[in-house]
Amino acid sequence: MDHRSRVEAVIHRVVDELNAQLPKPQRLEKSPETVLVGERARLDSLGLVNLVVALEQRIEDELGATVVLTEDPELLSEGGPCSTLGRLADHLTELLTRRESHV
Amino acid sequence: MSESLSGTTAELVARAAAPLSGRPPETAAPSRGGIAVISDFNSGNLARLLDEDPSPPALRTESASFGEVFPPLLDPRHACWKDGTDAAVVWTRPEGVIPAFREALELQRPDCDRIAAEVDAFADAVIQLAGRTRCVILPTWTVPAHERGWGMQDMRSSIGVANLLARMNLQVADRLEGARRSVFQLNAQPWLERAGRRAFDSKLWYIAKVPFANAVFQEAVKDIKSALLGLEGGARKLVIVDLDDTLWGGIVGDVGWEGLQLGGHSPLGEAFADFQRGLKALLRRGILLAIVSKNEEAAVLEAFKKHPEMQLALDDFSARRINWNDKAANIVEVVEELNLGLQSVVFIDDNPLERGRVREMLPEVLVPEWPAQKMLYRQALAELRCFDAPSVSSEDLDRTRMYAAERRREALKERLSSPDDWLRTLELRVRVEPLRDANLPRAAQLFNKTNQMNLSTRRMSEGELARWASGEGRRLWTFRVADRFGDSGLTGIVSLEARGDRGVIVDLVLSCRVFGRRIEDAMLHVALRHARRLGLGRVEAVYVPTAKNKPCLDFLRGRSGPQEIDQEVEAGPRFVWDLSREHRLPDGLQLEEEG
Repeated sequence: MDHRSRVEAVIHRVVDELNAQLPKPQRLEKSPETVLVGERARLDSLGLVNLVVALEQRIEDELGATVVLTEDPELLSEGGPCSTLGRLADHLTELLTRRESHV
Repeated sequence: MSESLSGTTAELVARAAAPLSGRPPETAAPSRGGIAVISDFNSGNLARLLDEDPSPPALRTESASFGEVFPPLLDPRHACWKDGTDAAVVWTRPEGVIPAFREALELQRPDCDRIAAEVDAFADAVIQLAGRTRCVILPTWTVPAHERGWGMQDMRSSIGVANLLARMNLQVADRLEGARRSVFQLNAQPWLERAGRRAFDSKLWYIAKVPFANAVFQEAVKDIKSALLGLEGGARKLVIVDLDDTLWGGIVGDVGWEGLQLGGHSPLGEAFADFQRGLKALLRRGILLAIVSKNEEAAVLEAFKKHPEMQLALDDFSARRINWNDKAANIVEVVEELNLGLQSVVFIDDNPLERGRVREMLPEVLVPEWPAQKMLYRQALAELRCFDAPSVSSEDLDRTRMYAAERRREALKERLSSPDDWLRTLELRVRVEPLRDANLPRAAQLFNKTNQMNLSTRRMSEGELARWASGEGRRLWTFRVADRFGDSGLTGIVSLEARGDRGVIVDLVLSCRVFGRRIEDAMLHVALRHARRLGLGRVEAVYVPTAKNKPCLDFLRGRSGPQEIDQEVEAGPRFVWDLSREHRLPDGLQLEEEG
């Protein structure tokens, strides 16, 4: 399985976990187009923080790699790496690939 | 599954389920009000979990702004106290509300007097809140596991952070003792331990001011909900156990009592003995035990009689069905024998097929998933949260003996020719007491647990009940029942409110354990006699129907005393007693009155 597929699988598991704790109107669709930041986002800021922190932990637990999203100053901006689920998957894949090439 | 049921089994199961059809079990009733979450940290995640958790009671949270602790505790007009919000979770970090402790956490020399004064001030604010809410849930203070304080000296008196924290939690517990009926301090430490090394989440803290991982909040929600359910009278009261490979190792019918794995020096034997001791401990909490087992009864009785390592005696079980019948049907029979509801039952069986069948046939029965590894039985039992109750009364502790007395009573009834003869031979004594501190916990428990003989099925906490009973023009009497076979304890309540020239019986509550012994007539006698003494013209009672309280309606209709008036505008029929004539005390019943 390539990085992208593994990242998507992790994202889907985290979304499932998060959705179980959210009221129906706030639940996320597991689609690359799902908007995470801005006016069209279903999640509030606390929900987004939960998603990001859970992703960091899951990637460490399941893929054995440390990726740091929470220190990125652009993280929560509308054009940033968390703007959609698809964009987030791209960003995480890139971080993992870059990390691998440094090892 | 159902096609394999015998006619008798199907009927029994249908009868047990019938009163609940079309509505969720009473324990699953939504909470009457919202719950405020008051915290010095961002409690958004906790609030969401409380709102979304599917287990009863359903909750609607109102979160106070984080960091704001004392204003919502002290100010009844604070925004978090919206209409219907009548309970609170007050969860704080010790360094967030006790400034002197924060200094100690930074390893400044602790000012113990200042810490004690600040802890008292916090506890007093919680007590103030408890005076105007149904209940307050107060998780104990914790510090992150990575805070090692003074290291190897951290438990030293007057220096160590761990020592201070333990003292502070105990000081709060002591201070709250006077408010124990409405404030419940929950031990938060196990929540952190179950959540593991990420229980304290530094990233969530720095980004969102959430100190704990969701795993901690998930554990907290389970305990908070079981506490709230317990307050609503939803705690389970009966554990029904299977025998072979559940209470002991092996099939007693095959290997005989001598071949059972129980006690001794084998790991499995020790595990089964320990599981039995766990069940015995439940008896001491007032939980009843019963046996439902597919087995040869003679072999089972011999095992209980002869096995030297048996921790439980046959007398510890209030009922038993040891036969080859369907277990769901046997459970229904046991529940009927003990006058309980299926929503009171936990069923423990090592066989997943039997568990599945009981779950399917009797969805109100709690059937915990049971570990395949027998050495985990004791742990699985200890982890069940369904027994949490706000208080344990002497009646609870004596319940197994009371059921044994009831079996002797019923045996006498079968020998005598008429119910009246039976009642006369019982030598019934009824002691009437006003509501007071000593009987308040049991009275509130009876209010919240009684379904069948209950006129209006009001559910109230101890504090609410005490406040209501002290209102102008109101009297509330409790009834303790005893007979030649034993003491049934406080089992009845009647309340009367004077409204102008008429009296209203607001509550008529009687435990089904003593129903049918004319205690209900004695209760009416006391209330109606009091109304006559007050010079009231008549007494009324409105029957409020529920899925389960038809026995109360049948009782009222079966008496010649009251006139029944149907009123469409009210919940149910209204009964009116003419006070021009006396409502007599039943013959052969001795009434002892106090106050």
